[in-house]
Amino acid sequence: MVARQGLGYLQQGLGAADLFAALYMSELRVRPDDPRWPDRDRLLLSTAHNTAVFYAAMAARGLIPAAALETYTQDGSPFEINASERVGPQVEATCGSLAQGLSVGVGMALSLRRQAKSARVYVILGDGELQEGQVWEAGLSAAGHRLDNLCLVIDRNYMQVDGHTDEVMRLEPLADKWVAFGWHVLSIDGNDLTQLTQALERARNIRDRPTCIIANTIPGKGVPFLEGRISHMAAISREEAQRALRILGESP
Amino acid sequence: MNQTIGGFTDSAQGGLQELPERAYGTALYRAAQADSRIVCLSADLARATETFLMRERMPERCFSLGIQEANMIGVASGMARCGDIPFAHSFCVFVTRRVYDQVAMQVAYPRTNVKIVGFIPGLTTQLGVSHQAIDDIALMRSLPNMTVVEPCGPEQVPAAVQAALAHEGPVYLRLSLASQAADTTRPLMTLDIGRGQVMVEGVDVAILATGMMVAQALQARDLIAQQGLSATVVNIHTLKPLDTQLLDRLARSHRAVVTAENHSTIGGLGAAVAEYLALRSLPVRFAMVGVRDTFAEGGSTPFLMKKYGLDAEHIAAAARTVCQAN
Repeated sequence: MVARQGLGYLQQGLGAADLFAALYMSELRVRPDDPRWPDRDRLLLSTAHNTAVFYAAMAARGLIPAAALETYTQDGSPFEINASERVGPQVEATCGSLAQGLSVGVGMALSLRRQAKSARVYVILGDGELQEGQVWEAGLSAAGHRLDNLCLVIDRNYMQVDGHTDEVMRLEPLADKWVAFGWHVLSIDGNDLTQLTQALERARNIRDRPTCIIANTIPGKGVPFLEGRISHMAAISREEAQRALRILGESP
Repeated sequence: MNQTIGGFTDSAQGGLQELPERAYGTALYRAAQADSRIVCLSADLARATETFLMRERMPERCFSLGIQEANMIGVASGMARCGDIPFAHSFCVFVTRRVYDQVAMQVAYPRTNVKIVGFIPGLTTQLGVSHQAIDDIALMRSLPNMTVVEPCGPEQVPAAVQAALAHEGPVYLRLSLASQAADTTRPLMTLDIGRGQVMVEGVDVAILATGMMVAQALQARDLIAQQGLSATVVNIHTLKPLDTQLLDRLARSHRAVVTAENHSTIGGLGAAVAEYLALRSLPVRFAMVGVRDTFAEGGSTPFLMKKYGLDAEHIAAAARTVCQAN
Protein backbone atom coordinates (compact mmCIF):
# COMPACT_ATOMS: atom_id res chain seq x y z
CA MET A 1 0.00 0.00 0.00
CA VAL A 2 2.51 2.59 1.12
CA ALA A 3 5.23 1.69 -1.36
CA ARG A 4 2.98 1.93 -4.39
CA GLN A 5 2.72 5.73 -4.30
CA GLY A 6 5.44 6.33 -1.73
CA LEU A 7 2.74 7.81 0.49
CA GLY A 8 1.20 6.78 3.78
CA TYR A 9 2.31 6.46 7.35
CA LEU A 10 4.49 3.40 7.57
CA GLN A 11 6.13 3.53 10.99
CA GLN A 12 2.91 4.41 12.81
CA GLY A 13 1.01 1.75 10.92
CA LEU A 14 3.39 -1.07 11.78
CA GLY A 15 3.59 0.15 15.38
CA ALA A 16 -0.19 0.15 15.81
CA ALA A 17 -0.89 -3.02 13.80
CA ASP A 18 -1.38 -5.14 16.92
CA LEU A 19 -3.69 -2.52 18.37
CA PHE A 20 -5.86 -2.45 15.26
CA ALA A 21 -5.81 -6.26 15.09
CA ALA A 22 -7.04 -6.53 18.69
CA LEU A 23 -9.80 -4.00 18.08
CA TYR A 24 -11.04 -5.07 14.65
CA MET A 25 -10.47 -8.82 14.87
CA SER A 26 -11.47 -9.38 18.49
CA GLU A 27 -13.13 -6.51 20.31
CA LEU A 28 -15.44 -4.60 17.99
CA ARG A 29 -19.01 -5.77 17.50
CA VAL A 30 -19.63 -4.74 13.91
CA ARG A 31 -21.49 -6.25 10.98
CA PRO A 32 -19.50 -6.16 7.76
CA ASP A 33 -22.70 -6.61 5.75
CA ASP A 34 -24.48 -3.83 7.62
CA PRO A 35 -22.03 -1.02 8.40
CA ARG A 36 -24.84 1.25 9.64
CA TRP A 37 -26.14 -1.29 12.18
CA PRO A 38 -27.38 1.02 14.98
CA ASP A 39 -26.06 -1.23 17.75
CA ARG A 40 -22.53 -1.50 16.38
CA ASP A 41 -19.53 -0.51 18.45
CA ARG A 42 -17.99 2.72 17.17
CA LEU A 43 -14.31 3.23 16.53
CA LEU A 44 -12.95 6.70 15.92
CA LEU A 45 -9.42 7.17 14.64
CA SER A 46 -8.60 10.66 15.78
CA THR A 47 -5.12 10.42 14.26
CA ALA A 48 -6.84 10.07 10.91
CA HIS A 49 -3.58 9.99 8.96
CA ASN A 50 -2.69 6.52 10.26
CA THR A 51 -4.71 4.99 7.46
CA ALA A 52 -2.49 2.32 5.98
CA VAL A 53 -3.13 0.15 9.02
CA PHE A 54 -6.70 1.46 9.48
CA TYR A 55 -7.85 0.49 5.98
CA ALA A 56 -5.92 -2.78 6.11
CA ALA A 57 -7.62 -3.69 9.40
CA MET A 58 -11.06 -2.79 8.03
CA ALA A 59 -10.38 -4.90 4.96
CA ALA A 60 -9.24 -7.80 7.14
CA ARG A 61 -12.51 -7.56 9.09
CA GLY A 62 -14.47 -7.47 5.82
CA LEU A 63 -15.77 -3.93 6.29
CA ILE A 64 -14.24 -2.72 3.02
CA PRO A 65 -13.16 -4.77 0.01
CA ALA A 66 -9.49 -5.72 0.03
CA ALA A 67 -9.24 -4.62 -3.60
CA ALA A 68 -9.99 -1.06 -2.49
CA LEU A 69 -6.58 -0.92 -0.82
CA GLU A 70 -5.04 -0.95 -4.30
CA THR A 71 -6.32 2.59 -4.81
CA TYR A 72 -4.82 3.93 -1.58
CA THR A 73 -3.75 7.59 -2.01
CA GLN A 74 -4.50 7.56 -5.75
CA ASP A 75 -6.20 10.64 -7.19
CA GLY A 76 -9.96 10.25 -7.05
CA SER A 77 -9.88 7.35 -4.58
CA PRO A 78 -11.92 7.69 -1.39
CA PHE A 79 -9.03 5.99 0.40
CA GLU A 80 -7.15 9.18 1.11
CA ILE A 81 -4.21 9.57 3.45
CA ASN A 82 -6.45 11.21 6.04
CA ALA A 83 -9.51 9.01 6.45
CA SER A 84 -12.72 10.79 5.55
CA GLU A 85 -16.35 9.80 5.28
CA ARG A 86 -15.90 9.55 1.53
CA VAL A 87 -15.03 5.94 2.36
CA GLY A 88 -18.54 5.36 3.71
CA PRO A 89 -20.13 4.75 7.10
CA GLN A 90 -17.18 2.56 8.08
CA VAL A 91 -15.35 5.80 8.86
CA GLU A 92 -17.43 7.04 11.77
CA ALA A 93 -16.25 10.66 11.59
CA THR A 94 -13.78 12.73 9.64
CA CYS A 95 -11.01 13.53 12.05
CA GLY A 96 -7.47 14.50 11.14
CA SER A 97 -7.75 17.99 12.48
CA LEU A 98 -6.20 16.66 15.66
CA ALA A 99 -7.96 16.27 19.01
CA GLN A 100 -11.48 16.15 17.66
CA GLY A 101 -12.02 12.40 17.82
CA LEU A 102 -12.42 12.13 21.57
CA SER A 103 -15.11 14.84 21.66
CA VAL A 104 -17.11 13.05 18.98
CA GLY A 105 -16.64 9.83 20.94
CA VAL A 106 -17.98 11.48 24.10
CA GLY A 107 -21.07 12.59 22.16
CA MET A 108 -21.63 9.11 20.78
CA ALA A 109 -21.22 7.55 24.22
CA LEU A 110 -23.74 10.00 25.70
CA SER A 111 -26.30 9.24 22.99
CA LEU A 112 -25.81 5.47 23.08
CA ARG A 113 -26.27 5.49 26.84
CA ARG A 114 -29.37 7.67 26.72
CA GLN A 115 -30.79 5.37 24.04
CA ALA A 116 -30.07 2.40 26.32
CA LYS A 117 -27.83 0.74 23.75
CA SER A 118 -25.06 -1.57 24.86
CA ALA A 119 -22.76 -0.48 22.04
CA ARG A 120 -19.36 0.83 23.10
CA VAL A 121 -17.23 3.63 21.74
CA TYR A 122 -13.49 3.29 21.13
CA VAL A 123 -11.29 6.27 20.32
CA ILE A 124 -7.68 6.02 19.22
CA LEU A 125 -5.59 9.09 19.93
CA GLY A 126 -1.96 9.53 19.08
CA ASP A 127 0.30 10.68 21.87
CA GLY A 128 1.47 13.83 20.08
CA GLU A 129 -2.17 14.78 19.73
CA LEU A 130 -2.46 14.97 23.51
CA GLN A 131 -0.71 18.33 23.31
CA GLU A 132 -4.01 19.77 21.98
CA GLY A 133 -6.20 21.40 24.62
CA GLN A 134 -9.45 19.95 23.28
CA VAL A 135 -8.34 16.45 24.28
CA TRP A 136 -8.39 17.53 27.91
CA GLU A 137 -11.77 19.21 27.59
CA ALA A 138 -13.11 15.93 26.26
CA GLY A 139 -11.26 14.02 28.97
CA LEU A 140 -12.91 16.12 31.67
CA SER A 141 -16.36 15.73 30.17
CA ALA A 142 -16.10 11.94 29.68
CA ALA A 143 -15.22 11.48 33.33
CA GLY A 144 -17.72 14.13 34.45
CA HIS A 145 -20.50 12.26 32.66
CA ARG A 146 -19.22 8.89 33.93
CA LEU A 147 -19.03 7.37 30.47
CA ASP A 148 -18.09 3.77 31.14
CA ASN A 149 -19.11 2.88 27.59
CA LEU A 150 -16.15 4.90 26.29
CA CYS A 151 -12.66 3.47 25.92
CA LEU A 152 -9.75 5.64 24.87
CA VAL A 153 -6.67 3.97 23.46
CA ILE A 154 -3.56 6.12 23.32
CA ASP A 155 -1.07 4.96 20.74
CA ARG A 156 2.04 5.86 22.75
CA ASN A 157 4.83 5.72 20.16
CA TYR A 158 6.68 8.83 21.35
CA MET A 159 6.65 10.17 17.83
CA GLN A 160 5.41 13.40 16.29
CA VAL A 161 6.35 15.44 13.24
CA ASP A 162 9.16 17.35 14.94
CA GLY A 163 10.61 14.29 16.66
CA HIS A 164 10.32 12.64 20.07
CA THR A 165 7.13 13.71 21.86
CA ASP A 166 8.82 14.36 25.16
CA GLU A 167 11.45 16.54 23.53
CA VAL A 168 8.86 18.57 21.64
CA MET A 169 6.48 18.99 24.60
CA ARG A 170 6.69 16.66 27.56
CA LEU A 171 3.63 14.50 28.21
CA GLU A 172 4.83 12.51 31.21
CA PRO A 173 3.62 11.60 33.73
CA LEU A 174 0.92 10.62 31.27
CA ALA A 175 -0.94 7.94 33.23
CA ASP A 176 -1.11 10.23 36.27
CA LYS A 177 -2.76 12.93 34.18
CA TRP A 178 -5.59 10.63 33.09
CA VAL A 179 -5.99 9.26 36.62
CA ALA A 180 -6.24 12.83 37.88
CA PHE A 181 -8.92 13.52 35.26
CA GLY A 182 -11.02 10.69 36.70
CA TRP A 183 -10.30 7.90 34.25
CA HIS A 184 -9.49 4.26 34.88
CA VAL A 185 -6.01 3.88 33.39
CA LEU A 186 -4.24 0.77 32.10
CA SER A 187 -0.68 0.96 30.79
CA ILE A 188 0.27 -1.95 28.58
CA ASP A 189 2.62 -3.19 25.89
CA GLY A 190 0.69 -2.16 22.79
CA ASN A 191 2.49 -4.72 20.68
CA ASP A 192 1.34 -7.64 22.83
CA LEU A 193 -1.99 -9.02 21.62
CA THR A 194 -2.72 -10.78 24.89
CA GLN A 195 -2.21 -7.64 26.93
CA LEU A 196 -4.32 -5.68 24.45
CA THR A 197 -7.28 -8.04 24.49
CA GLN A 198 -7.12 -8.37 28.28
CA ALA A 199 -7.06 -4.58 28.71
CA LEU A 200 -10.02 -4.15 26.39
CA GLU A 201 -11.91 -6.79 28.33
CA ARG A 202 -11.12 -5.11 31.65
CA ALA A 203 -12.28 -1.79 30.22
CA ARG A 204 -15.64 -3.37 29.38
CA ASN A 205 -16.12 -4.27 33.02
CA ILE A 206 -15.21 -0.92 34.58
CA ARG A 207 -18.28 0.94 35.85
CA ASP A 208 -18.93 4.66 36.25
CA ARG A 209 -15.68 5.74 34.65
CA PRO A 210 -14.22 5.80 31.17
CA THR A 211 -11.08 3.77 30.60
CA CYS A 212 -7.85 4.97 29.08
CA ILE A 213 -5.52 2.31 27.76
CA ILE A 214 -2.01 3.64 27.23
CA ALA A 215 -0.67 1.27 24.61
CA ASN A 216 3.09 1.61 24.36
CA THR A 217 3.94 0.83 20.77
CA ILE A 218 7.18 0.64 18.82
CA PRO A 219 7.20 2.37 15.43
CA GLY A 220 8.01 -0.01 12.59
CA LYS A 221 7.35 -3.02 14.84
CA GLY A 222 7.95 -6.40 13.24
CA VAL A 223 10.44 -5.33 10.57
CA PRO A 224 13.97 -5.25 12.02
CA PHE A 225 15.30 -2.64 9.64
CA LEU A 226 12.39 -0.30 10.49
CA GLU A 227 11.77 -1.11 14.13
CA GLY A 228 12.25 1.77 16.54
CA ARG A 229 12.99 4.32 13.82
CA ILE A 230 11.36 7.61 14.76
CA SER A 231 10.17 9.00 11.47
CA HIS A 232 6.81 10.65 10.97
CA MET A 233 6.87 10.39 7.19
CA ALA A 234 9.09 7.40 6.48
CA ALA A 235 9.16 6.50 2.81
CA ILE A 236 9.94 2.99 1.66
CA SER A 237 11.07 1.69 -1.71
CA ARG A 238 9.28 -1.16 -3.46
CA GLU A 239 12.27 -3.41 -2.80
CA GLU A 240 12.28 -2.58 0.90
CA ALA A 241 8.54 -3.12 1.02
CA GLN A 242 8.93 -6.59 -0.49
CA ARG A 243 11.67 -7.43 1.98
CA ALA A 244 9.50 -6.23 4.85
CA LEU A 245 6.52 -8.25 3.69
CA ARG A 246 8.65 -11.40 3.43
CA ILE A 247 9.90 -10.85 6.99
CA LEU A 248 6.28 -10.48 8.13
CA GLY A 249 5.39 -13.74 6.43
CA GLU A 250 3.26 -12.18 3.73
CA SER A 251 3.72 -12.81 0.02
CA PRO A 252 4.65 -9.46 -1.55
CA MET B 1 -29.91 40.66 43.82
CA ASN B 2 -30.50 39.81 40.18
CA GLN B 3 -27.60 41.39 38.40
CA THR B 4 -27.99 42.15 34.73
CA ILE B 5 -25.10 43.05 32.48
CA GLY B 6 -26.41 44.14 29.10
CA GLY B 7 -29.22 41.64 29.29
CA PHE B 8 -26.89 38.84 30.39
CA THR B 9 -28.43 37.81 33.67
CA ASP B 10 -26.38 36.17 36.39
CA SER B 11 -26.91 32.43 35.99
CA ALA B 12 -26.58 31.89 39.74
CA GLN B 13 -30.14 33.12 39.96
CA GLY B 14 -31.22 29.79 38.56
CA GLY B 15 -34.14 29.28 36.27
CA LEU B 16 -37.10 29.07 38.52
CA GLN B 17 -38.99 31.83 36.80
CA GLU B 18 -41.05 31.16 33.69
CA LEU B 19 -39.85 32.25 30.29
CA PRO B 20 -42.15 34.40 28.20
CA GLU B 21 -44.10 32.66 25.50
CA ARG B 22 -41.95 34.09 22.71
CA ALA B 23 -38.58 33.34 24.22
CA TYR B 24 -36.21 30.87 22.62
CA GLY B 25 -36.19 28.71 25.76
CA THR B 26 -39.93 28.15 25.55
CA ALA B 27 -39.74 27.33 21.85
CA LEU B 28 -36.95 24.83 22.47
CA TYR B 29 -38.82 23.20 25.33
CA ARG B 30 -41.97 22.89 23.22
CA ALA B 31 -40.02 21.41 20.34
CA ALA B 32 -38.35 18.95 22.69
CA GLN B 33 -41.73 17.88 24.06
CA ALA B 34 -42.82 17.01 20.55
CA ASP B 35 -39.58 15.38 19.34
CA SER B 36 -37.72 13.00 21.64
CA ARG B 37 -34.58 13.20 19.50
CA ILE B 38 -33.87 16.76 20.64
CA VAL B 39 -31.11 17.15 23.21
CA CYS B 40 -29.79 20.35 24.71
CA LEU B 41 -26.07 21.02 25.08
CA SER B 42 -24.75 23.89 27.12
CA ALA B 43 -21.33 25.30 27.86
CA ASP B 44 -22.32 27.05 31.08
CA LEU B 45 -24.67 30.03 30.44
CA ALA B 46 -27.91 28.05 30.80
CA ARG B 47 -29.63 31.17 32.05
CA ALA B 48 -28.34 33.52 29.36
CA THR B 49 -29.06 31.04 26.58
CA GLU B 50 -32.53 30.32 28.01
CA THR B 51 -31.97 26.57 28.25
CA PHE B 52 -32.77 26.41 31.96
CA LEU B 53 -36.44 25.70 31.28
CA MET B 54 -35.63 22.51 29.42
CA ARG B 55 -33.00 21.65 32.02
CA GLU B 56 -35.55 21.89 34.82
CA ARG B 57 -38.25 19.92 33.06
CA MET B 58 -36.15 17.42 31.11
CA PRO B 59 -32.84 17.11 32.92
CA GLU B 60 -32.14 13.73 31.33
CA ARG B 61 -32.05 15.38 27.90
CA CYS B 62 -29.76 18.24 28.86
CA PHE B 63 -26.01 17.83 28.85
CA SER B 64 -23.79 20.36 30.51
CA LEU B 65 -20.23 20.41 29.22
CA GLY B 66 -18.91 23.19 31.39
CA ILE B 67 -17.02 26.04 29.81
CA GLN B 68 -15.67 24.17 26.82
CA GLU B 69 -17.15 25.12 23.49
CA ALA B 70 -14.76 23.18 21.24
CA ASN B 71 -15.59 19.93 22.97
CA MET B 72 -19.30 20.80 22.91
CA ILE B 73 -19.30 21.04 19.12
CA GLY B 74 -17.59 17.65 18.82
CA VAL B 75 -20.00 16.13 21.35
CA ALA B 76 -22.93 17.57 19.38
CA SER B 77 -21.61 15.94 16.24
CA GLY B 78 -21.22 12.58 17.98
CA MET B 79 -24.76 12.75 19.32
CA ALA B 80 -26.16 13.71 15.92
CA ARG B 81 -24.32 10.76 14.41
CA CYS B 82 -26.27 8.53 16.79
CA GLY B 83 -29.62 9.95 15.71
CA ASP B 84 -30.17 12.69 18.29
CA ILE B 85 -30.76 16.31 17.32
CA PRO B 86 -28.48 18.44 19.48
CA PHE B 87 -29.06 22.13 20.00
CA ALA B 88 -25.67 23.50 21.16
CA HIS B 89 -25.66 26.83 22.96
CA SER B 90 -23.36 29.66 23.86
CA PHE B 91 -22.75 33.26 22.84
CA CYS B 92 -22.36 33.91 19.11
CA VAL B 93 -18.61 34.51 19.29
CA PHE B 94 -17.95 31.30 21.17
CA VAL B 95 -19.94 28.96 18.91
CA THR B 96 -18.45 30.40 15.71
CA ARG B 97 -15.06 32.14 15.78
CA ARG B 98 -13.75 30.26 18.81
CA VAL B 99 -14.66 26.82 17.45
CA TYR B 100 -14.52 27.37 13.73
CA ASP B 101 -12.48 24.31 12.85
CA GLN B 102 -14.65 22.06 15.01
CA VAL B 103 -17.78 23.42 13.34
CA ALA B 104 -16.23 23.01 9.89
CA MET B 105 -15.02 19.44 10.39
CA GLN B 106 -17.64 17.92 12.68
CA VAL B 107 -20.78 19.78 11.65
CA ALA B 108 -20.54 21.43 8.22
CA TYR B 109 -18.46 18.88 6.31
CA PRO B 110 -20.37 15.78 7.45
CA ARG B 111 -23.73 17.65 7.44
CA THR B 112 -24.52 16.43 10.93
CA ASN B 113 -27.95 17.44 12.14
CA VAL B 114 -26.65 19.92 14.70
CA LYS B 115 -28.31 23.23 15.52
CA ILE B 116 -25.76 25.77 16.71
CA VAL B 117 -27.46 28.48 18.72
CA GLY B 118 -25.64 31.73 19.46
CA PHE B 119 -26.74 34.69 21.55
CA ILE B 120 -25.46 38.27 21.61
CA PRO B 121 -25.26 39.14 17.92
CA GLY B 122 -23.08 42.05 16.83
CA LEU B 123 -22.60 44.89 19.25
CA THR B 124 -25.52 44.19 21.58
CA THR B 125 -23.64 43.86 24.83
CA GLN B 126 -21.97 45.89 27.51
CA LEU B 127 -19.53 43.06 28.10
CA GLY B 128 -17.17 44.43 25.48
CA VAL B 129 -15.24 43.37 22.43
CA SER B 130 -14.63 39.79 23.63
CA HIS B 131 -18.36 39.10 23.47
CA GLN B 132 -19.24 41.02 20.32
CA ALA B 133 -19.84 38.85 17.26
CA ILE B 134 -19.12 41.05 14.26
CA ASP B 135 -17.89 38.28 11.97
CA ASP B 136 -20.02 35.25 12.84
CA ILE B 137 -22.28 35.55 9.80
CA ALA B 138 -19.23 35.83 7.55
CA LEU B 139 -17.63 32.77 9.12
CA MET B 140 -20.69 30.57 9.09
CA ARG B 141 -21.77 31.71 5.63
CA SER B 142 -18.45 30.60 4.16
CA LEU B 143 -18.90 27.03 5.35
CA PRO B 144 -20.37 24.68 2.75
CA ASN B 145 -23.60 22.97 3.88
CA MET B 146 -24.30 25.57 6.57
CA THR B 147 -27.63 27.38 6.85
CA VAL B 148 -27.59 30.72 8.66
CA VAL B 149 -30.75 32.15 10.22
CA GLU B 150 -31.33 35.31 12.23
CA PRO B 151 -34.96 36.02 13.15
CA CYS B 152 -36.01 39.66 13.38
CA GLY B 153 -37.28 39.50 16.96
CA PRO B 154 -39.07 37.45 19.63
CA GLU B 155 -42.17 37.21 17.44
CA GLN B 156 -40.16 35.15 14.96
CA VAL B 157 -38.12 33.02 17.35
CA PRO B 158 -40.60 30.13 17.67
CA ALA B 159 -40.79 29.85 13.88
CA ALA B 160 -36.99 29.99 13.64
CA VAL B 161 -36.69 27.03 16.01
CA GLN B 162 -39.27 25.04 14.06
CA ALA B 163 -37.61 25.89 10.74
CA ALA B 164 -34.18 24.88 12.04
CA LEU B 165 -35.64 21.61 13.25
CA ALA B 166 -37.46 20.93 9.99
CA HIS B 167 -34.23 21.49 8.08
CA GLU B 168 -32.23 18.24 8.09
CA GLY B 169 -28.63 19.37 8.54
CA PRO B 170 -26.51 22.06 10.16
CA VAL B 171 -28.10 25.37 11.07
CA TYR B 172 -26.62 28.40 12.81
CA LEU B 173 -29.28 30.35 14.71
CA ARG B 174 -28.23 33.90 15.60
CA LEU B 175 -30.42 35.12 18.43
CA SER B 176 -30.71 38.22 20.57
CA LEU B 177 -30.80 37.95 24.33
CA ALA B 178 -34.30 38.31 25.69
CA SER B 179 -33.48 41.45 27.64
CA GLN B 180 -37.07 42.40 28.27
CA ALA B 181 -40.52 40.94 27.94
CA ALA B 182 -41.44 40.61 24.29
CA ASP B 183 -44.26 42.70 22.87
CA THR B 184 -47.13 40.24 22.81
CA THR B 185 -49.42 42.52 20.82
CA ARG B 186 -47.40 41.89 17.66
CA PRO B 187 -48.52 38.88 15.66
CA LEU B 188 -46.27 35.83 15.59
CA MET B 189 -44.30 35.58 12.37
CA THR B 190 -43.56 32.63 10.13
CA LEU B 191 -40.10 31.75 8.88
CA ASP B 192 -39.45 29.94 5.65
CA ILE B 193 -35.73 29.20 5.33
CA GLY B 194 -34.35 30.95 2.26
CA ARG B 195 -37.40 33.14 1.66
CA GLY B 196 -37.06 36.82 2.56
CA GLN B 197 -40.11 38.54 4.01
CA VAL B 198 -41.30 41.82 2.59
CA MET B 199 -42.50 43.74 5.64
CA VAL B 200 -43.75 46.72 3.69
CA GLU B 201 -43.68 47.64 -0.01
CA GLY B 202 -42.34 50.92 -1.41
CA VAL B 203 -41.00 52.11 -4.75
CA ASP B 204 -37.71 53.98 -4.45
CA VAL B 205 -35.34 52.04 -2.25
CA ALA B 206 -35.34 48.48 -0.95
CA ILE B 207 -33.86 48.16 2.53
CA LEU B 208 -32.77 44.59 3.25
CA ALA B 209 -32.25 44.05 6.95
CA THR B 210 -31.54 41.14 9.24
CA GLY B 211 -32.23 40.52 12.93
CA MET B 212 -32.75 43.55 15.11
CA MET B 213 -31.94 45.79 12.14
CA VAL B 214 -35.37 45.09 10.68
CA ALA B 215 -36.93 47.32 13.33
CA GLN B 216 -34.33 50.00 12.60
CA ALA B 217 -35.06 49.74 8.88
CA LEU B 218 -38.78 50.23 9.51
CA GLN B 219 -37.98 53.37 11.50
CA ALA B 220 -35.66 54.56 8.75
CA ARG B 221 -38.52 54.13 6.31
CA ASP B 222 -40.57 56.66 8.29
CA LEU B 223 -37.62 59.04 8.41
CA ILE B 224 -37.05 59.10 4.64
CA ALA B 225 -40.76 59.32 3.93
CA GLN B 226 -40.48 62.92 5.12
CA GLN B 227 -38.24 63.60 2.09
CA GLY B 228 -40.71 61.92 -0.21
CA LEU B 229 -38.78 58.67 -0.54
CA SER B 230 -40.70 55.44 -0.34
CA ALA B 231 -38.92 52.33 0.96
CA THR B 232 -39.56 48.64 0.75
CA VAL B 233 -38.35 46.92 3.91
CA VAL B 234 -37.42 43.26 3.77
CA ASN B 235 -36.61 40.89 6.61
CA ILE B 236 -33.71 38.75 5.40
CA HIS B 237 -33.93 36.20 8.20
CA THR B 238 -31.94 33.66 6.20
CA LEU B 239 -28.42 34.84 5.42
CA LYS B 240 -27.65 31.57 3.71
CA PRO B 241 -29.13 30.50 1.39
CA LEU B 242 -29.83 34.03 0.24
CA ASP B 243 -33.21 34.68 -1.38
CA THR B 244 -31.81 35.58 -4.78
CA GLN B 245 -35.18 35.41 -6.49
CA LEU B 246 -36.49 38.18 -4.26
CA LEU B 247 -33.25 40.10 -4.70
CA ASP B 248 -33.66 39.93 -8.47
CA ARG B 249 -37.13 41.37 -8.25
CA LEU B 250 -36.22 44.14 -5.81
CA ALA B 251 -33.11 45.18 -7.73
CA ARG B 252 -35.16 45.52 -10.90
CA SER B 253 -38.06 47.38 -9.32
CA HIS B 254 -36.18 49.89 -7.14
CA ARG B 255 -33.65 52.64 -7.78
CA ALA B 256 -31.47 51.55 -4.90
CA VAL B 257 -30.79 48.71 -2.51
CA VAL B 258 -29.51 49.29 1.03
CA THR B 259 -28.48 46.50 3.38
CA ALA B 260 -28.55 46.81 7.17
CA GLU B 261 -26.90 44.38 9.55
CA ASN B 262 -25.63 44.25 13.10
CA HIS B 263 -22.37 42.73 11.83
CA SER B 264 -19.33 43.72 9.82
CA THR B 265 -20.00 44.84 6.27
CA ILE B 266 -17.25 42.38 5.32
CA GLY B 267 -18.66 38.95 4.62
CA GLY B 268 -22.15 39.48 5.99
CA LEU B 269 -25.51 40.39 4.51
CA GLY B 270 -24.20 43.44 2.64
CA ALA B 271 -21.35 41.49 1.14
CA ALA B 272 -23.61 38.61 0.16
CA VAL B 273 -26.03 40.97 -1.59
CA ALA B 274 -23.19 42.90 -3.26
CA GLU B 275 -21.69 39.67 -4.58
CA TYR B 276 -24.98 38.63 -6.06
CA LEU B 277 -25.79 42.01 -7.62
CA ALA B 278 -22.34 42.20 -9.18
CA LEU B 279 -22.35 38.64 -10.48
CA ARG B 280 -25.76 39.15 -12.08
CA SER B 281 -24.78 42.62 -13.36
CA LEU B 282 -27.94 44.06 -11.87
CA PRO B 283 -27.86 47.84 -12.44
CA VAL B 284 -28.96 49.22 -9.12
CA ARG B 285 -27.41 51.71 -6.72
CA PHE B 286 -26.21 50.08 -3.55
CA ALA B 287 -25.17 50.97 -0.03
CA MET B 288 -24.32 48.96 3.09
CA VAL B 289 -25.01 49.77 6.72
CA GLY B 290 -23.08 47.75 9.26
CA VAL B 291 -19.94 47.69 11.35
CA ARG B 292 -17.22 49.17 9.16
CA ASP B 293 -14.12 47.00 9.54
CA THR B 294 -13.55 47.92 13.14
CA PHE B 295 -13.74 46.33 16.57
CA ALA B 296 -16.10 48.06 18.98
CA GLU B 297 -16.36 48.35 22.75
CA GLY B 298 -18.84 47.55 25.48
CA GLY B 299 -21.78 49.89 25.93
CA SER B 300 -25.53 50.14 25.87
CA THR B 301 -27.04 49.01 22.59
CA PRO B 302 -28.51 52.43 21.60
CA PHE B 303 -25.17 54.10 22.34
CA LEU B 304 -23.21 51.57 20.28
CA MET B 305 -25.66 51.58 17.40
CA LYS B 306 -25.38 55.34 17.16
CA LYS B 307 -21.60 55.41 17.56
CA TYR B 308 -20.94 52.63 15.05
CA GLY B 309 -23.48 53.78 12.50
CA LEU B 310 -26.16 51.12 12.82
CA ASP B 311 -29.27 52.97 13.92
CA ALA B 312 -32.28 54.12 11.94
CA GLU B 313 -30.73 57.56 11.35
CA HIS B 314 -27.74 55.97 9.65
CA ILE B 315 -29.89 53.69 7.51
CA ALA B 316 -32.01 56.69 6.50
CA ALA B 317 -28.91 58.72 5.65
CA ALA B 318 -27.51 55.87 3.55
CA ALA B 319 -30.82 55.50 1.74
CA ARG B 320 -31.07 59.24 1.02
CA THR B 321 -27.51 59.43 -0.24
CA VAL B 322 -27.78 56.42 -2.48
CA CYS B 323 -31.09 57.58 -3.95
CA GLN B 324 -29.72 61.05 -4.68
CA ALA B 325 -26.41 59.91 -6.17
CA ASN B 326 -25.94 60.54 -9.87
